[in-house]
Amino acid sequence: MFGWKGKILRVDLSQGSYSVEDMPLGLTRDYIGGRGLGVKMLFDEIDPRVEALGPENKLIFATGPLTGTGAPAGGRFIVASKSPLTGAIANSCCGGYFGAQLKFAGYDLLIIEGKAPEPVYLSIRSEEVAIKPAGHLWGKWTTETETLLKAEIKQEFNIWEASDTSIVSIGPAGENRVRFACVMADGGRAAGRSGMGAVMGSKNLKAIAASGRGEVAIADSEGFKKAVMDFLEEGRENNELEKRHMWGTWSLPGRANKTGTQAALNFQAGYFKPFEVFEDPAFIRDNIRVRDEACFGCPFACSKRSRIKDPDYPGTTKGPEHETMALVGSNCGIGDLDDICRANYLCNELGMDTITTGATISCAMELFESGYLPEKDAGCPLNFGNTASMFQLIKETSRRQGFGDLLADGGYAVAEKYGHPELFMGVKKQGMPAWHPQGIEVIGLQYATSNVGACHTKATLPMYEGRKDPAHHVEWTKQDQDTLAVADSSVLCWIIYHGPLWSEKPLVWLRAVTGVDYTADSLALIGERIWNLERLFNLKAGLSGKDDNLPPRITDEPRVNNQVVHLDRMLPEYYRWRGWDESGIPTPEKLLQLGLAGEAGAK
Amino acid sequence: MRIKVDYTRCTGCKLCEVACSLQHTGTVNPWRSRIRVFITEEYCLPVIAGPYTEAACNSKGVRVIDGRELDECVLCRASCPVKPIFKEPDTQIPLKCDFCGEPPDPQCIRWCAAEALTLVDE
Repeated sequence: MFGWKGKILRVDLSQGSYSVEDMPLGLTRDYIGGRGLGVKMLFDEIDPRVEALGPENKLIFATGPLTGTGAPAGGRFIVASKSPLTGAIANSCCGGYFGAQLKFAGYDLLIIEGKAPEPVYLSIRSEEVAIKPAGHLWGKWTTETETLLKAEIKQEFNIWEASDTSIVSIGPAGENRVRFACVMADGGRAAGRSGMGAVMGSKNLKAIAASGRGEVAIADSEGFKKAVMDFLEEGRENNELEKRHMWGTWSLPGRANKTGTQAALNFQAGYFKPFEVFEDPAFIRDNIRVRDEACFGCPFACSKRSRIKDPDYPGTTKGPEHETMALVGSNCGIGDLDDICRANYLCNELGMDTITTGATISCAMELFESGYLPEKDAGCPLNFGNTASMFQLIKETSRRQGFGDLLADGGYAVAEKYGHPELFMGVKKQGMPAWHPQGIEVIGLQYATSNVGACHTKATLPMYEGRKDPAHHVEWTKQDQDTLAVADSSVLCWIIYHGPLWSEKPLVWLRAVTGVDYTADSLALIGERIWNLERLFNLKAGLSGKDDNLPPRITDEPRVNNQVVHLDRMLPEYYRWRGWDESGIPTPEKLLQLGLAGEAGAK
Repeated sequence: MRIKVDYTRCTGCKLCEVACSLQHTGTVNPWRSRIRVFITEEYCLPVIAGPYTEAACNSKGVRVIDGRELDECVLCRASCPVKPIFKEPDTQIPLKCDFCGEPPDPQCIRWCAAEALTLVDE
């Protein structure tokens, strides 16, 4: 078998047992892998109405046929489950080495079931799989967890085994079921959104260490080699890729701010004066960058390790990425780069999604400034720009202490409790990321219709050649959502492959690696199938077209460039492009076309 | 002729391992690669397989480079009885860099976007 390993590793933490299953061949062809296989498995194996933090929910670590092959920017993996934050499907993607090591170990998918009676970690060394006690790791920050585990591996095996092993872990936030806790990987990469760390914590699973000595077979290795080499040559000349390599996402905060599309002060504005200094991304790079750190098989190495100029923060971490800078920065009224780095560091180490953390605290800040949230409840003055309060609340949230216990349930819970749910800036209870939709209207539609709630990884900015004409924005939204579903299933990095960028490449990699005669049309259909199956999952979980919504601030109050987002106009058109009825439900004809007719009636 | 390593440029993407493995085996398996990247929290260090040596050696100390302490056994290029890498996983046959044939055209160098590897004629 080429590309895929054809195996599923299933671990039952309640029983303390595991099994290895054959992957049904039709599934890999129809869903590719990663995000597609993740939702297919969840749809088939759990009731979408299960309690997300209960033992009946499953947590899936999914690779794709391109994982571990060296397909450029093909180093990611997907964490799929039902989200405890949104109650919807979750498919958080993450870089680093974990996906590649899972493949070399021999598995396309790792499915975690049940709940361990005591804290454990999972060790996967090719066919040697073991569930081990993790009492000594419980409570530890994520980098320390990795360091301790690597020291143990070095002791038990050798230094190269420790170097090769990739570790994903949760911090205290995941242990304490913070609903937006993330899964951290390889010293600073994150499966950030949707609260996958809380699901892991609810299973008493602290970490997974994976390494493998197997191979990934390539159907046409000569053709693959040549195609990769050509792309590497192209990359050396290409301005877009060179920018990614040089700046990572650091070129974006200044650009977004300048154009009035930067989330600021809980989306009350699209511009934040202190962010003007970031218009020169060299300001960020020169101040905090330690080095570039690539994910497996990525020649572009957009991920940057950074430091903080503060003896109280002796460590380094990855990021802060653009989204982090916006949500814990401008959106909370914080403009100091070192403060943003401190918040990023704390969130990474405690294991909390930086975006949702920022969205939650900024919401609380507006409630406080509006007089709805008393200081005695918050335990600290929570005005915009108050960094001391922010750091205190980040720590309290990770421990569910004091006011942090409420924050840990997310911004929507906070806003609702104080009687103003309209002040929560999110979709499906997940906070909106960095780009203010009033600056670029179609982003609003992309946030509103995303199956996982507002998310930066499920949309394409209409800034590229071939995406600029507003007359086609709704149509392209549908098309780009499907394309990204294919990238997330292959698995390819959405930062490189989105919208019109290298849109022909996934087909080239997939054909050369798997030998399956995919076509552009068949991939488009697969992307659409995945998107629709996610939609069916959500509908069964209790969501509806009413949840394809935006905060009234975005649709009714012109805050940026005197614009509002006309979701009421775009949504019906979007549903038509999707082949859904006017309430957002896929029509029987559409499901039949996608091979999902049977799924609609299931469960 | 040798391959010069500038480890400060290495980003740890491991495409060199992929390139080597593809060239010599037609599949991707880092354990069958003649170049391996040692990854730590602070640096990435590509190591290229030299000749096999039977002897137990003295490379058990610490070498200081750029003020950084590096494990000599990791730095050492030899494939040897105690080293876990540079051996075929199934047969334990030692692996050695062959510069990808004659004339030399090391694929690891061609795949290294960070330009951490260069072929030098000395």
